[in-house]
Amino acid sequence: MNPILQIENLDKVYPDGTVALSNINFSVYPGEFVVVIGPSGAGKSTLLRCMNRLIEPTNGNVIFKDKKINQASARQVKQIRREIGMVFQNFNLIDRLTVLNNVLHGRLGYTNTIKGSLGIFSKKDIAEAEEILDRVGLKKQKYKRADELSGGQMQRVGISRALAQRPRLILADEPIASLDPASSKNIMDHIYNICTEDKITAIVNLHQVEVAIKYATRIIGIQNGEVIFDGQPSQLTDRIIDEIYHNRKPPLVHAQ
Amino acid sequence: MLNKWKRVIALEGTKDIRRHKRLQTMLIILLVIGLTVWSAIGTDFSVYEVFSGVGLISNFLFLDLLPPDVTTSGSLLGAILETLYMGFVGMVVGALIALILSFLAAGTTTPHPIIQVVVRAFTSIIRNIPGLIWALILVASYGIGVTVGTLSLILGSVGFLTRVFADTLEEIDTGKIEALNATGSSYLQVLAQGVFPQFIPGFVAWSLYNLELNIRASTIIGMVGGGGIGFAIQKGIKLFQYKEVSMAIILVLVLILSTEFLTSKIRERII
Amino acid sequence: MSELENPNENIYSLTKDEEEILKPKKDFFIKGVLIFGGLFFLFSLYELNIDYANLLEGTGAFFAMLIDMFPPNISEWAYVLPAAIESLQVAILGTVIAVVISLVLAFLAAENLAPSLWVSRIVKGFATLMRVIPTIIWALIFIVAVGLGPLPGVLAIAVHSLGMLIKVFAQSVEEMDEGKIEALKASGAGWIQIIAQAVIPTVLTALMSWTILRLEIDIGESTILGLVGAGGIGWELMRAMRSYDFNSALFITMVIFIMIFSVEMLSNRLKLKV
Repeated sequence: MNPILQIENLDKVYPDGTVALSNINFSVYPGEFVVVIGPSGAGKSTLLRCMNRLIEPTNGNVIFKDKKINQASARQVKQIRREIGMVFQNFNLIDRLTVLNNVLHGRLGYTNTIKGSLGIFSKKDIAEAEEILDRVGLKKQKYKRADELSGGQMQRVGISRALAQRPRLILADEPIASLDPASSKNIMDHIYNICTEDKITAIVNLHQVEVAIKYATRIIGIQNGEVIFDGQPSQLTDRIIDEIYHNRKPPLVHAQ
Repeated sequence: MLNKWKRVIALEGTKDIRRHKRLQTMLIILLVIGLTVWSAIGTDFSVYEVFSGVGLISNFLFLDLLPPDVTTSGSLLGAILETLYMGFVGMVVGALIALILSFLAAGTTTPHPIIQVVVRAFTSIIRNIPGLIWALILVASYGIGVTVGTLSLILGSVGFLTRVFADTLEEIDTGKIEALNATGSSYLQVLAQGVFPQFIPGFVAWSLYNLELNIRASTIIGMVGGGGIGFAIQKGIKLFQYKEVSMAIILVLVLILSTEFLTSKIRERII
Repeated sequence: MSELENPNENIYSLTKDEEEILKPKKDFFIKGVLIFGGLFFLFSLYELNIDYANLLEGTGAFFAMLIDMFPPNISEWAYVLPAAIESLQVAILGTVIAVVISLVLAFLAAENLAPSLWVSRIVKGFATLMRVIPTIIWALIFIVAVGLGPLPGVLAIAVHSLGMLIKVFAQSVEEMDEGKIEALKASGAGWIQIIAQAVIPTVLTALMSWTILRLEIDIGESTILGLVGAGGIGWELMRAMRSYDFNSALFITMVIFIMIFSVEMLSNRLKLKV
């Protein structure tokens, strides 16, 4: 099977000299549910944003379905982004617009510029958006303003917006970091079930190891911008977790 | 060891800082007193003159100005309405122009940094020359009348609103913009669907505030030939028709206070 | 798998389908305001009866005049600069007088400190009257009473600023934590002691930033007072425009711009510091 996403020798150095990512290499195959773990500041967010080029990589290649995103024109990047849904920690909904309108934003990439700007969407898109909202249990809230929802509900709208793109790949950046435990479980269940049912590949950034082990088919651990673990959840030992999260020098790890 | 020394230095420092602060306060107070005295000398200001003027001023206020001549209110009504129309038209046209300019002037939405600098400089020149002076300059080209009043109010609105709109645009949550970019939306779509909805509350609030400013400005714009009630006030004073002047001032009061009341009600409802 | 819903979910699922149809009410209000605003705009434009031929012609004349204005005539700087300084002095003196008087009156106007509600209302009423009448109209009134020159300018700025400062100072005092005043009252402190020991230290920063803002506005206003004869640089501009000396007018306008612009820069600096 061909990989859906390949990362080759990826580096990211910010203008102030901070090295966020160095020499990242891995491939993601269709149907995988990859969870990227690591402490905050390890470079998880940068990595995810390099995948759809919200952040410009310094070196290396990001290849989505045989297309090099890092070499694509602005127009091609937009077309590739349509196939990659993204879910954010802060939901990033447009507060003053309705829930339905926020979901329909997932269709903007497929809509003509003028119509999309005026918020005019096809009947088919609207029907589909309503179907998605029904799926995440928010159909009745569709005319509510986004800022009237609870955090968990907002994130379900965020997921719906990504789904409206009919994506092949979903990138989720700390989707539960701003939520209470009950909503967190609910959101992870939604992401996992939808990706499994619709055969969408997922790459999820998390900092909670237990959650990662519960849902992931594969875990990538990064620390200081480098991949230091890549394998099955069952292969993730306490020692490796310690190494990922505490930045211990090897002697200390051995001492345990 | 190093930390200990740092702490010692910091402790010594606080004493210095306190002394430094007190010195700074003293200097500021001295500066203010000095400036005030300098200004008083420069303007030949004398407390004696002010107090001896109190009699004149109160005579003028209570005998010449008051009571207002209510019978003139009919003829003044046209002038005060003209003032209102100029203020409103100035706000609407100014807001529309500023809307376009502010997207060019805000760091978050500008197509190019050079455009941003040019627009900011241009609006800064407009903003830092008072409306009444614009009116005076415009009168030379357009002649006396409402055209001058309306144009100078438009200029004032563009100068003020472009700046505050651009500041509002720069405060917008960039995460939400990122989210729309991630769906593959075009530049225009991101502006219309992502930036604009976040911008609306600021747009409405600042435009309403600008309406208040314009109404105030348009009451006086007539003094240099811009039409409206300012012209009537100026004329009344020149012809010694003080009771008509006080009637006009009462109308100005009513117009400004009712605008303030109305805009605050609308603001409450919308935001 | 998605049985575990947010607790809130049940509340929503109980509501009837009506909620689906109901759109937020605010939309209607905004639409109403926009429609009314649009209609009133058209009506205003109609009533103003602007002569569009003149507008076009005047715009041509305006640009011709702009070109004509260059180069600025700086030969009369010996008259212009002192006039600019006089404007600055009128603004400073007027603002200082307003600040000093408002410091007393604001405490009488603040409802939580006023001796009685009536005192507060009367002071606030006077403040509104002073604030709403524009500075230049005050200047006209004072010119009739005390004659031409900088004095009516100083008085006009002082009176108009006083109205605004009383309002905003009183608001700052009213927003203050009641507990602090109560604590001093409980210790038997008198009115003046409360103001000096509790109120002023608390609201000092707010008072300072309002004062700076007011000075900024007043410097702008002082440049136009000359247009009606109340001293300063506005008079020079009026004279230049009246005698069609556009090159001098440009120089004077540039001086005015530099004055106001540098004050804006300076106050931005100060705001950053506070």
